[in-house]
Amino acid sequence: MSDSPYPQNQPLPQVQLQSQAQLQGTVQGTQKAEPPILHYPRPPAGVSDQVYQADGAIKPEWNYLLESLKDLGVNALNERQEKARRILRDDGVTYNIYDEGIVPNGQWELDLVPAIIGSEDWAKIESGLLERAELFNLILRDFYGPRNLLKQLSLPAEALYGHGGFLRACQGIQMPGEHELILHSVDMIRAPDGSMCVLSDRAQAPSGAGYVLENRTVMSRVFPSIFRDSHVHRLASFFQRLRQKLISLSPSENQARVVVLTPGAHNETYFEHSYISNYLGFPLVQSGDLVVRNGFVWMKSLEGLGRVDVILRRVDDVFCDPVELRSDSHLGVPGLLDVIRSGRVVMANPLGSGVLENPILLKYLPAISKQLLGREPRLSSVRTYWSGDEHDLNYICTNLNNLIIKPIYRGSGQRSVWGGDLSQSEQDELKAKIRAKPIQFVAQERIEKTHIPTLVKGALEPRPAILRTFAVAADSSYIVMPGGMTRVGLGVGQQLISMQAGCPSKDTWVTATEPERVVELHTQEASQAEQEALLVSLPSRVVENLFWLGRYAERAEASLRILRTVFMLINSEQAITKESQKVLLRSITEITGTQPGFLNATDEQLANPEKELLLIIKDGNRPGSVRSSLNSLLFCADESKELLSSDTIRVINDIRDALDNLEVSLASGLSSAPEEALDPLVIPLLALSGLMQESMVRGVGWHFMDMGRRVERAIQIMKTVTTLITPVVDKADNETLLHAMLRSMEVLITYRRHSRARAGLGFGLELVMLDPNNPRSLIFQFEQLQNHFSVLRKNDPGLRELAEEDRVLLEAITSLKLSRIAQLLEVKDSSRSNLTTLLTQLNRLLSDFSNLVSDKYFDHRIDPQQLVTTFWGE
Amino acid sequence: MPFMRYKVTHTTQYKYAARVSNCFNLANLIPKNTPRQKCINSRITVLPKPTHTSQRTDYFGNQSYHFEIQTPHTELTIKAESEIQVQESSSDLRLDLGMNYGDALKFFKQNTSLEVIKAREFILDSPMIKVTEALAEYARPSFSLSRPLYTCVTELTRRIYEDFQYTPGFTTIATPLSEVLEHRRGVCQDFAHLEVACLRAMGIPAKYVSGYMETLPPPGQQKLVGADATHAWVAYFSPNEGWLEFDPTNDLRASNQHIVTAEGRDYYDVTPVKGVIFGGGKGPILSVSVDVARQLNS
Repeated sequence: MSDSPYPQNQPLPQVQLQSQAQLQGTVQGTQKAEPPILHYPRPPAGVSDQVYQADGAIKPEWNYLLESLKDLGVNALNERQEKARRILRDDGVTYNIYDEGIVPNGQWELDLVPAIIGSEDWAKIESGLLERAELFNLILRDFYGPRNLLKQLSLPAEALYGHGGFLRACQGIQMPGEHELILHSVDMIRAPDGSMCVLSDRAQAPSGAGYVLENRTVMSRVFPSIFRDSHVHRLASFFQRLRQKLISLSPSENQARVVVLTPGAHNETYFEHSYISNYLGFPLVQSGDLVVRNGFVWMKSLEGLGRVDVILRRVDDVFCDPVELRSDSHLGVPGLLDVIRSGRVVMANPLGSGVLENPILLKYLPAISKQLLGREPRLSSVRTYWSGDEHDLNYICTNLNNLIIKPIYRGSGQRSVWGGDLSQSEQDELKAKIRAKPIQFVAQERIEKTHIPTLVKGALEPRPAILRTFAVAADSSYIVMPGGMTRVGLGVGQQLISMQAGCPSKDTWVTATEPERVVELHTQEASQAEQEALLVSLPSRVVENLFWLGRYAERAEASLRILRTVFMLINSEQAITKESQKVLLRSITEITGTQPGFLNATDEQLANPEKELLLIIKDGNRPGSVRSSLNSLLFCADESKELLSSDTIRVINDIRDALDNLEVSLASGLSSAPEEALDPLVIPLLALSGLMQESMVRGVGWHFMDMGRRVERAIQIMKTVTTLITPVVDKADNETLLHAMLRSMEVLITYRRHSRARAGLGFGLELVMLDPNNPRSLIFQFEQLQNHFSVLRKNDPGLRELAEEDRVLLEAITSLKLSRIAQLLEVKDSSRSNLTTLLTQLNRLLSDFSNLVSDKYFDHRIDPQQLVTTFWGE
Repeated sequence: MPFMRYKVTHTTQYKYAARVSNCFNLANLIPKNTPRQKCINSRITVLPKPTHTSQRTDYFGNQSYHFEIQTPHTELTIKAESEIQVQESSSDLRLDLGMNYGDALKFFKQNTSLEVIKAREFILDSPMIKVTEALAEYARPSFSLSRPLYTCVTELTRRIYEDFQYTPGFTTIATPLSEVLEHRRGVCQDFAHLEVACLRAMGIPAKYVSGYMETLPPPGQQKLVGADATHAWVAYFSPNEGWLEFDPTNDLRASNQHIVTAEGRDYYDVTPVKGVIFGGGKGPILSVSVDVARQLNS
């Protein structure tokens, strides 16, 4: 597969140039719709850009890419953009934009035109970044140590003491090894003069590295040859170094146990948390998965508590321990900070590192650097004024129109504003705020961001760009990821570029003239299946979510199946009796659990059930509705995302899409073609159940997921039999209801195949309850549960006596096996009491089993509360 | 210089409505050493017995005691016993009232000694104290540039003592200063927070001090054990003299009857017992008893 016919660094064949000229002629001359060529014209004066030199020639590092794109043409590029979107969606790449509803889903935007940095240019940038990471490392050590920077007056005391990120509880914490700061990121732009200028530093838990990796994966798939021939510097070594560094931090002499701590599935960058944890091969945990005991940190897993040595955190430091830091936090682990202090667990970045994001540092960085490194930093930062300095305060107040005003601490609830956007009275208000708390604000000059070509509606247009870079501690210095994440604005000259505003990202290519020598072994390329097998000890929470994933999937499927069956019967040519219709509709209410529903419906409602049936499908606020079950399924899938294969994530996304489009698919009602209307939901659910069987390693996670499915299916079978078979009705109705049961349980064909020899209620009931070869029979579910449980119990040798769970299942299976169909169908006092008794008993046993499993394996966390309530107002 | 020797017993008890499965706590109950006091020995006993404990000196120089309990319980008792030797404050009868307020402000800006750089931390807002114009307005009448700073602070202390009514139960530790200022009521914690806020509003470094005060029984009566209480007062930074302690609840300079436990920016930094419990139901019942016993052999 090739996306460019030309090898790099060779002049384009003359023929091609001519044909382009001709092409333009054709477009004008005829109706033939030849695709327009993809050309990046020199932006007008006033729009500074990175591609053209002063003399109007294209810079060499951009040349190959632009020529290749030109050759590819608009249509092809659009197709590839579409393909990229599909890959990103199928990989489940999201960036959750806040306040979007219960189940977040923000698709990650990748613009296919990469940002290019020539390798010589990059070498300069890289050395500046290395120096900066080293500098911030020393600053961090000083802030939580001797504070010489204050003593020697390189930084005013208030600049540190007044910053909300200076966590006094972290005084004296020391990291093992040579670094305090493990990860350092920088947001930077290229100024019109070509130099790089830093806008801000990120030292808390910098996000983006995972998205860069994903962007790169997509780019190399949609542009394999342009990518290959551009000799782009690889990313893998950055992640290998990160992994090595984290492992090296372990205080334990045994094999290091590293975990990635995430705030949870609702965090805006959760995709990245699960992606990185998978890529690095470390379990992804939430606060409730960790616990402090006996002065150590432990992960709650099925095997019990497992010690944790190193935590890569994606939770902001103030939220990490409600005992000593923010007391209202539910994202932390009580007692964690004291374990860190004792050195029994190591956290990266260390708690307190958020203090480095203080923008006042940018003003004093030259002085600080002189004190710590003996020279001014090579990379320049944006000109920053601090209102805590009297001289600066006056400057800010007189030049508000031309400055960005920022709070020094992100957690302060204040936003950055461009003074020029404010009315006179707003400006006065802001000035009063600044004068009241001058320490809390900085002002920065706006630097013009240079533009790079971006695909906008089929044309290449200039867009302002910002670059986030990533450095990780290694050996005695740092390693910088080649390139980083580029984001571009939505319009020419746009100032605000942020993910929250929906700005697209770009892959960043540091291109070499020579191919890079691949020295590293790609040990990280393990397949998803292998990764899963490696994660032997899973957090209990993940296992619980897999169990419920199985249950909700089965519940939704069963609901859809009975709905479909009933629709078919109601709308079939052979009219069914009123009595049958009533029993069928009531069974829907019972099976979906959407009472009262049809249970006490009037004759009128029973005759026109469509409205209620639609609600049972689409009303998300109604527990038991199909939408509500599927929403729960999506939640469980998000919580266990790191264990799902990429195909499974794809199917989960299909379910999400189908839910989003449910209104449209149901718009024409259900009566005409219920199959078609429900297919978008049914098909991905079937795919999901197939994947669960065929693409999941038979690890602990799978056993729990399948147990969930079996438990739910057994419940649904019992409900169906109870509602359709126990009522004593006319013979004709009997026939209809039996038909409905067999159809909804997918055994109608088997029934018919045998019906020459045997038929009737008895045979139907036998198939559904007692046939061990029918994967949808009741006994099959109980026997499967028994199998799962015996596998799980292998971890628990030495127990001779039957475990409680075994007993419950054994009793259920025995009762089923000993039952006689004829007796079950006996009618006494116009009811089938034997059948009812058996089903009641089985129902109780199943619920006992479910409770036993839940008590034994799932985490029953009691919510923590504070002993004393104090303010935290920083 | 006269000094006193005390034995302080401070017992904190929590009774919970439901079982607490485990808890993580941090206690600031061991008295720190200061220029005018020395903690001779100290012991903390926790029931049920903690599975893990640690002790350290924190950022502010206070003694922090961490403990973790994994035994299910419905009652938690923390008993701190300490012996402390306390001196009288250095100069009570002053002829020289020191630097005036205006010069003091200049001094804080210009002096670059380590002590002053460190003291500047205590001019800034802190977790529970945010300076507002209302607080500055209350403080302002006591401060003029030409007046000795010492006199300004003495007067502010007296005004708080006179303007505010000591009313136990009217406030909790979470009551904001604006309410205390509005209703002119509170307890020692509120008055200490208020005075710290006023001093900071005037640009003076001020600390919150927690501790105990010896109370003497009425003449001829036996002192009741446990009748004492935890107490709180303030310290401000006086140029060339360092930290001076004032007690707005009693309109006093801290004497050898004031025993310091911990100092910080506000109550948040010195909370006697805080932490997280798992379980416990609603509304734990807290009871605190303090006994400050003067040791006769001093």
